Amino acid sequence: MKHFAKLAAAALVAGAMGTAALAESLYAPNLSYRTGPFAATGIPLMNGQKDYFEMLNARDGGIGGVKIDFAECETGYSTEKGVECYEKTKGQAIVTQPWSTGITLQVLPKTNVDRIPILAPGYGFSPMADGKVFQWAFNVPSGYWDAASMIINYIDNEAGISGKKIAFVHLDHPYGKEPIPLFEKKAAEMGFEFLPIPVGLKEMQNQSAQWLQIRRERPDYVVMWGWGAMNAGAITEAVKTKFDMSKFIGVWWSGHDADLAIVGEDGKGYKSISWSFPNLDAPVMADIKKHVVDAGISQSNETEMQGVFYSRGIVISMILAEGIKTAQDHFGTAQINAEQLRWGLENLNITEARLAELGMEGMVPPFATSCANHTGHSGGWMLEWDGAKFVKVSDLLMPDTSDYADLIAEKAMEYADANTPWEMNEACNVTN
Amino acid sequence: MLYRTAGQFKTSYEADQALFPVKQDAFLLGVILLFAWVIFPLTASEFTFQAILIPVLIFSLAAMGLNILTGFAGQLSLGTGAFMGVGAYACYKMVTLMPWMNPVVAILLSGVFSAGVGVMFGIPSLRIKGFYLAIATLAAQFFLVWLFEKWAWLYNYNQSGAIQVPNLEMFGTFVSGPQAASVTEYYVVLAIVTLLTLVCINLTRGNLGRTWKATRDMDIAAELIGINLMRSKLTAFAISSYIVGVAGAMYVFMWKGAAEPNAFDIPLSFEVLFIAIIGGLGSILGNYLGAILIVGLPVVLNLVPATLGLNWSSATVEHLNVMIVGSLIVFFLIVEPHGLNQLWRLIREKLIIWPFPH
Repeated sequence: MKHFAKLAAAALVAGAMGTAALAESLYAPNLSYRTGPFAATGIPLMNGQKDYFEMLNARDGGIGGVKIDFAECETGYSTEKGVECYEKTKGQAIVTQPWSTGITLQVLPKTNVDRIPILAPGYGFSPMADGKVFQWAFNVPSGYWDAASMIINYIDNEAGISGKKIAFVHLDHPYGKEPIPLFEKKAAEMGFEFLPIPVGLKEMQNQSAQWLQIRRERPDYVVMWGWGAMNAGAITEAVKTKFDMSKFIGVWWSGHDADLAIVGEDGKGYKSISWSFPNLDAPVMADIKKHVVDAGISQSNETEMQGVFYSRGIVISMILAEGIKTAQDHFGTAQINAEQLRWGLENLNITEARLAELGMEGMVPPFATSCANHTGHSGGWMLEWDGAKFVKVSDLLMPDTSDYADLIAEKAMEYADANTPWEMNEACNVTN
Repeated sequence: MLYRTAGQFKTSYEADQALFPVKQDAFLLGVILLFAWVIFPLTASEFTFQAILIPVLIFSLAAMGLNILTGFAGQLSLGTGAFMGVGAYACYKMVTLMPWMNPVVAILLSGVFSAGVGVMFGIPSLRIKGFYLAIATLAAQFFLVWLFEKWAWLYNYNQSGAIQVPNLEMFGTFVSGPQAASVTEYYVVLAIVTLLTLVCINLTRGNLGRTWKATRDMDIAAELIGINLMRSKLTAFAISSYIVGVAGAMYVFMWKGAAEPNAFDIPLSFEVLFIAIIGGLGSILGNYLGAILIVGLPVVLNLVPATLGLNWSSATVEHLNVMIVGSLIVFFLIVEPHGLNQLWRLIREKLIIWPFPH
């Protein structure tokens, strides 16, 4: 009983302190997925994101003197929990980070009514790039169509894409279907054969049928839009069927070190396009080590911290932090609200110089956003698995954004029409 | 004490067979309805609406649909999730093809489509029984989800392959879609659920319900006393699928706002089946109790550490949550294998004769 009383008292004090702390912090929740079928890829991303904010809080006392309350709400990648988390957090939140294409699709129309910016770095609905229509949604620094464009250009430069056969192994789910319209458009324009090979959610880990088909079709390249357990499945099958790994290119979510580590040397040559890259010598990594890891508040570990996904988590948090800072500077207040953060995210300007200041050189290409451009189209690097880790094998590649600007505008308007009344940013008069 | 029946005399068969032979039951239901219709809507926050009240009602209705089929008519089904999907997609096609249509009418009509599909997949029940039938409905589960993925017309050739709920108006207010207020959505859901519950109670007490129960208990004996088994089984499939389809339409239109085909996959079927089993097969009230335990409780438990000021990580809370709800399910099934409904019935009977033991 005594213990219980003590515990209750402690809880009360902690509660009181908690609310006191809340008053002078910015609430930036993250709908995390450290549990469930996709946890293996979620954990390094969540750790990277969290550690960056922990580091800012410890080193600088937050941003502009306000601590960031980077709370997590666990969804387990389930859309039902996602809705619950969104509703739970949206009250004081200045941002929502849904972390799954399914949850993104669900909160996308709600954020337009609730007026909360939705930050979905490198994922979600590609037409969100059109900031005039999707004024509350951001998929910085690159969208899926950017990735598809960069991959097509890479293949074109390497071997000349015309006349080639490209197999597209993808998750049969909104996420995997995202780049298909662009691939189809480019196939017609550039004269290559595009062969979509869907992988159902249930057969993610057993893709023998798909790879049998690939062996029969003899494509020149295999492009993959895989996620979670699907990547490891595809990579092991590719090794088993002795597919030339150097002709196998994945999107950024298919470049997870742990998936490749399973096959090790055999996976040599596998490529993945990426808008982020781990730079272990970057000053920011040293700061995280000093303020977060050594202080014992990181949930990460040495191997994980060297991986692509952990450093991508850091970059994602940096984008949000920069958005907050930009908004604080512009509005002259540290306690910004959701509307002000939207302005901040709309006016990001991450230059090489700014990256150097942040101690994040080489971790993400420079990019800028505007009220019309909510993606930034940063471009990316081609990464290659060398048997033990991913290395950069290209200079910065840029997508042909102008090429599909019409497609983005058209699809965005289609969405707005289907969801009337849909509030748009009429005041925005920039074109890019 | 609370359930003293002294002085409540029944002088006719009708009075004895009334919906509420004990006055206190009617009173209790009145209190619950008062809470549901007046007190919750006045006091609930948006989070309570979206995370607890609306989903609990929708899942109760889905479980009720399954319960008609499995609990009352004795036909095992694992295809509930897919039948919910049929309702949702039917509703989506109706409101996009006929935007002038009243959304509530669309939701109620969408059940008709799932009833049709349900009957189609129910035909095997005339030849096979039990687990074998469960596998046949499992085929429906796989086939329909595959169809939702492949038939692009169903989702209006939407690039993402998901259905998006448009803003739907009724008498000048938005009742569905992102612009709709939670309280409006809640009232629509509550009205439909109340209506269908009333229908279900009366169906299961009536002639049809009796033939279902006879089929469930022993189909050969039922046939011998002149029950048309085909009619009994197929009506059970039709009515059950209708209710499940309406629940599915509300699941997307009144709650989620968007859904990809995968949302109607087998985990959803299992969730509804668990609610029906925990709540009690062959009961109406049990569906509500089951849904509160399986859908509502995890949400509430998730809030507890934060309310107590404990700074646990969200993932830890989630793990604990799964453990607690899991052990509660095991506990209730050990204490009362016939479900929460039976538990409540026992409590009620004990209260009626209290303070005497027999």
